[in-house]
Amino acid sequence: MRLLERAFRRFLATLDAVATKAYGYAWNPFYQSGTVAVAMLLVLIGTGLYLLLFYRLGAPSASVGRMAADPWLGAWNRSLHRYASDVFVLAAGVHALRMFAQGRSWGPRTLAWVSGLVLFGAGLVCAWTGFVMAWDSFGERLAREGGRLLDALPVFSEPLSRIFAGDGPVPSAFFFVNMFIHIAVPLAMGAGLWLHVSHLARPALLPPRRLMWGIIGALFAAAVIWPAPLGAPANPFTLAPTTPTDLVAAWWLPLSERLSPGAAWSAVLILSAAALLVPRFARRPRTGALAPSVVDPRLCTGCNQCPQDCPWSAITMVKRDDDRPMLVALVDPARCVSCGICAGSCAPMGIGPEGRTGRDQLGALRSVAFPELAGAGFGAHGDLPPIVAVCCKQAPASHVAALRARGAHVHAVSCVGNLHTSVIELFVRRGAPGVIVCGCPPRDCTSREGPKWLHERVFNDREAELQPRVDRRRVRLATLAPGDRRATLAAFDDFARALAALDRPTRETDVDLDVVCDPVPIGADEEDS
Amino acid sequence: MTALLRVARLVAASVATALVLGLIVRASAAPLPFHDGQAARLRLSWSARPERIEVCRTLSDEELAQREEHMRQRVECDGRFATYTLRVESDGQVIGETVARGAGLRHDRPLYLLREYDVAPGVHRVRVSFTRREKTDDNAAAFAKTTSTEADTGIFAGRAQREEVERARRARAAIPAHLELDTTVAFAPRQVIIVTFAPERRALVLLAGGSEPR
Repeated sequence: MRLLERAFRRFLATLDAVATKAYGYAWNPFYQSGTVAVAMLLVLIGTGLYLLLFYRLGAPSASVGRMAADPWLGAWNRSLHRYASDVFVLAAGVHALRMFAQGRSWGPRTLAWVSGLVLFGAGLVCAWTGFVMAWDSFGERLAREGGRLLDALPVFSEPLSRIFAGDGPVPSAFFFVNMFIHIAVPLAMGAGLWLHVSHLARPALLPPRRLMWGIIGALFAAAVIWPAPLGAPANPFTLAPTTPTDLVAAWWLPLSERLSPGAAWSAVLILSAAALLVPRFARRPRTGALAPSVVDPRLCTGCNQCPQDCPWSAITMVKRDDDRPMLVALVDPARCVSCGICAGSCAPMGIGPEGRTGRDQLGALRSVAFPELAGAGFGAHGDLPPIVAVCCKQAPASHVAALRARGAHVHAVSCVGNLHTSVIELFVRRGAPGVIVCGCPPRDCTSREGPKWLHERVFNDREAELQPRVDRRRVRLATLAPGDRRATLAAFDDFARALAALDRPTRETDVDLDVVCDPVPIGADEEDS
Repeated sequence: MTALLRVARLVAASVATALVLGLIVRASAAPLPFHDGQAARLRLSWSARPERIEVCRTLSDEELAQREEHMRQRVECDGRFATYTLRVESDGQVIGETVARGAGLRHDRPLYLLREYDVAPGVHRVRVSFTRREKTDDNAAAFAKTTSTEADTGIFAGRAQREEVERARRARAAIPAHLELDTTVAFAPRQVIIVTFAPERRALVLLAGGSEPR
């Protein structure tokens, strides 16, 4: 399983690099695969409503033919509907692959994984029924294949395949049921989507507007320039040599046709079971780096910041069992994914995964980095000390190596959202000329909101904010995006130039970091609500 | 980002977008082979009720007396549904032979038949026969002779007649014991010719897309 994850991670990194080169990491559609799929679902619903107005159950092929022949609205609407379904399947596929490759498919994410698979399957079924609705040679081919597969199951008293045999007209009831499924499934997908993101505090459902309208615009252009061809009307009295087949949304068709119904169903069952069991086989022991966050109630001041920052709604504030007049944070281990965002949000450093709380981060610096900082590395020869680059462990190794080659002192963290701002302060007050914090592209953060909260904490006074005494000119945030090392190095060089223009940094030997956090007394939450 | 870099990225983005769109458009309507070659097809498709083969007997007065009152029926029938042999010949050569029976675990559902045979384009003599495998008398007639109204009195009055009517209706609805179609057909390349059972004519007929059944 790990090998498979690694292989897919490498494959996706290549894709990401190519897309980042072309679009930049902010508009890289691969980082937005989940939201792109949702956007396509909306496009499908919008264009589908229009198509539904002109669809006739009694004459499906003729009505779709009329729509396809209407150059003003029908043709591009139908084509946009078709292409959006393809992009939906591609985006959902990439999204699932990314979640699997990044190890985001198990533990508290199991519900999202399973519901995502169901949504993907529902999307394929929806596409299937949609193609059949057109009732061209491709629709007929899909209907026949569906009949062949379903007839192998003891479900229908009369074999479905006979409907398409040609000894009688295909009954309208068939097209009605088919259309009903085509409409009902997307409605059910809405409920599935709610379930899919139900564990997230702030689910991102749509891509950034520019990207979303860019994709829709591009698909619209394709629909106008290259309208999706409609096959010849279904005719049971001729054998079509080829059919205009959608190999994206109906990718399974060539495989299924080569198998007997029993083998095809076995393949479906095996693949589905394997996909559904991924959370079982991908899971790791929840210890060490994967241990859920814990709260030290002695340190918790009940400030209510960690529940607000937690991307997984895994933290709630509860009454204390001692006599202190404030609430205390409580982590639900079943929801906590060990992202460590809470560690960065807690000014008094009372919460976080084992070994990654603010205190642990400072402690690690004292025992490992500080001797180096004070001795050989930082200013030992009277030179300007090296810039500290705090890098996310998920960042591309080549980027980190390039920063090292530029003379940066690299300090790795599990996620920049996990980084406590006191660490930045400590570096600066210990004499580092500047600290550049390099995170992943915001939409590719495995902790979901690491770069966002870091930015807020450093520049917008969000708890646990970087203290005002730290010169903000000595702190910079950057993004390490695969395929865009040039931008990383450019950001670093620019920072280095800016630092060179500043005074030589002063070094404090006795740094005493204080912590500030406004407590919320018990009962304040109830009053608010 | 320099202006040159911005332009380069714009060009790269445009090219990448066009490429991806081209791939999607191409994959969205790929001409996937379906039926290779020029062969035509003979398709046999119909559904019909198989004949019910029953053995009926008249119960004696002693036997009737032993039954519960609501189960006293003078004539009792037990039976099963007929099975059929389908035989398809093209130019005298058997291209298919199979046994057809009613659907369902007990084969008591209507019989559904769907068979396809590839044939070379051209003129062929096609012979399709569908023959009941069980050798038996006409049970509906046999039953009519044994119908008795003696015990069908009181709340059961008229039941025997009603069952007789129902049996006759079922016999009429069932597929005939023997069906045969023997004809010469011109198959065009890739044409599908359908042989089906026409219930109103109680015969096998040929359908060839747009033409009248014959």
